[in-house]
Amino acid sequence: MSMIEFHDVQKYYGQFHALRDINLEIDKGETVVLIGPSGSGKSTLARTVNGLETIQSGQLIVNNRDLSDAKTNLNILRRDVGMVFQHFNLYANKSVLENIMLAPRIVSHVPEAENKKAAMDLLDMVGLADKAQNMPSQISGGQKQRVAIARSLAMKPKLLLFDEPTSALDPEMIDDVLQVIKQVTSASDMTSLIVTHEMGFAKEVANRVIFMDAGQIVEDDDTKSFFSQPETQRAQQFLSKIITH
Amino acid sequence: MINIITHYSHQLLSGFGWTLLSSVLALFFSLIIGSLFAIMEILPNKTARFVGRAYVELFRNIPLLVITMFFYLIIPLYLVKINGFTAGTIGLTLYTSAFIAETIRSGIQSVDTGQMEGARSVGMTYWQAMRYIILPQAFKIVIPPLGNQFVNLVKNSSVLAFVAGFDLMYQANSIASTTFDTINSYLVIGVLYLIITMPLSYYMRYLEKKIA
Amino acid sequence: MKKKFWLVSFLTIILVVLSGCGKQNSSQQSVLKNARASNTLTWGVKGDTKLFGLIDVADGQSKGFDVDMAKHITKHILGPKGKAKMVTVTSQSRTPLLKNGNVDAVIATMSITPEREKILDFSHSYFDAGQSLLVPKSSTIRSAKDLNGKTVIGVVGSNSVNNIHKVAPHAKVVELQDYAQAVNALKSKQGDALTTDNGILYGLAVENHGFEVRGGTFTKEPYGVAVNKGQDDLTKAINQAILEMQHSGEYNHLIKKWFGDVPGFDYKELYRK
Repeated sequence: MSMIEFHDVQKYYGQFHALRDINLEIDKGETVVLIGPSGSGKSTLARTVNGLETIQSGQLIVNNRDLSDAKTNLNILRRDVGMVFQHFNLYANKSVLENIMLAPRIVSHVPEAENKKAAMDLLDMVGLADKAQNMPSQISGGQKQRVAIARSLAMKPKLLLFDEPTSALDPEMIDDVLQVIKQVTSASDMTSLIVTHEMGFAKEVANRVIFMDAGQIVEDDDTKSFFSQPETQRAQQFLSKIITH
Repeated sequence: MINIITHYSHQLLSGFGWTLLSSVLALFFSLIIGSLFAIMEILPNKTARFVGRAYVELFRNIPLLVITMFFYLIIPLYLVKINGFTAGTIGLTLYTSAFIAETIRSGIQSVDTGQMEGARSVGMTYWQAMRYIILPQAFKIVIPPLGNQFVNLVKNSSVLAFVAGFDLMYQANSIASTTFDTINSYLVIGVLYLIITMPLSYYMRYLEKKIA
Repeated sequence: MKKKFWLVSFLTIILVVLSGCGKQNSSQQSVLKNARASNTLTWGVKGDTKLFGLIDVADGQSKGFDVDMAKHITKHILGPKGKAKMVTVTSQSRTPLLKNGNVDAVIATMSITPEREKILDFSHSYFDAGQSLLVPKSSTIRSAKDLNGKTVIGVVGSNSVNNIHKVAPHAKVVELQDYAQAVNALKSKQGDALTTDNGILYGLAVENHGFEVRGGTFTKEPYGVAVNKGQDDLTKAINQAILEMQHSGEYNHLIKKWFGDVPGFDYKELYRK
């Protein structure tokens, strides 16, 4: 059973061809890492999956809903698709706890007591129960990202999208966040698509790697073979640069 | 100065009342109208954006006196009779609402786009995101410039004098031309304007501190 | 709290100081001597009042009976080479401009009234006007007594508004900034009648068809030339000049020039010898 299906998808920003001939299937339960040089279209691809970016042609089906159909209600789709952003995007006017509780309350109308308990459990899981009453501006970047992950989980999504979740963090914060992501994505029924530059982490959590360049999918392989013997020259170049750095 | 206050207290009080009433009405309605057009200006819908833009540019770029004269002199010729006070207050409302729309729009747009994406990504509708996330943050940003608009509104209400709206400026013109004491006539109403604008300024500053 | 106290005190002090400025005396130098020295008299004249002082769009000069009177009086006082400089004033601005010395004398449809005589000096009357009404031809208003319960339009700074309160105590009065606006307001039915001196009203009736002057005059409004208090030599010189003009026939010539063609107005009644 597939969770995400791209069929001949094209995406343009004006004249710029951002995604070319994308064909891709991701099954339920998979943890897929998306890598490639900057500007290769990997973030754009992740953002099309929950409709933050629209596509110009082709077919895109996520969780059995057709995003290429204008009649599809994106709000309903997004309840099942969580997203974690590079810059966290925590609601600046809400406390940490409220950040997590807001969507369950106003989108899926979870009873208040149940909502609060679930939110506290999530904060506990990411190790920030003591920060529940703080405002986002009062906690560190790594803590913000852990709250953001808890927030995306509060809606009990079937699919999680991570858009460079550690790129904006100080190096000493990265490990804590990666540990949380690893824990979350390892759940057997969770499907994850992770855009990242952390190769070590990719090796550790992914069961499949997609390498993109210039808007195209260049390689799509299981993690072990991709890192041991990349098929294309472009991927070899990319990996050698990353590793020598 | 004392002479003018004692001899013309009735006229001054009535002027103060009309100025205050016009300011309060214009403030209330321009805030509502301004917010509506501000939201229209940022809607995804192109027609709505055009209408919002057109409204703001029209009323922001025509002198307040011209808008007021239009309601005082032109509208009664073809549609319905509007007295000076009403014409002035309508003019003041439309003129100020364009500036308020502009203030609120820029306030909303200065909220980081990530806030909207964060809210939409968990399934909130556009309006839920607006109500719970964007507008509360925008509100905080727009309080200081909004305070300026309110103070300007009170001062601009002197446009009523030109259409016989019985406001402070009208009374001062009248008193000055009766007593020939121009300086003191205008000084007295200057103080009366301060009595309205200073507490308003202080209140806006208090609000700013309280919310921040 | 302390800060606010200081701010309020500061503002109050500024206001008190400013209000003290209001009592400044206008210069006690002789305006007439200065005028003779510079060979120029500066006059405040109307710019919005047809027949008396109306700015001609073609050359930007104000033209009318008052303006011509000013020119003639200047020649009589300063001699044939004397220059008359015209400054446009409104009913509202004419007194302050005279008091602070921007103009030497004002000849701008200004009635001689006891209130004004307290702060200004006037020449003898040079024109006998009377307050009347301008109404739409279809109006039911016949005379000033019909104004009770109606809205009457006047102009800020003229004394016509006070007179209405005397003739028709229950009339509502609204004051506008100038005659052009007042006429427009009358057209937009913001009032039922426009009131001011008949001379001015006839001028307005000439330009606005569908309106007429009605009800005769219900006050006497002798127009005088206003000068600052303490300038008795100038007042005397002006009085002398007006008398000379009446004797020489210049005065009647100007009356005919400006009021000869006004329908419904018997200009010969105004002739003086």
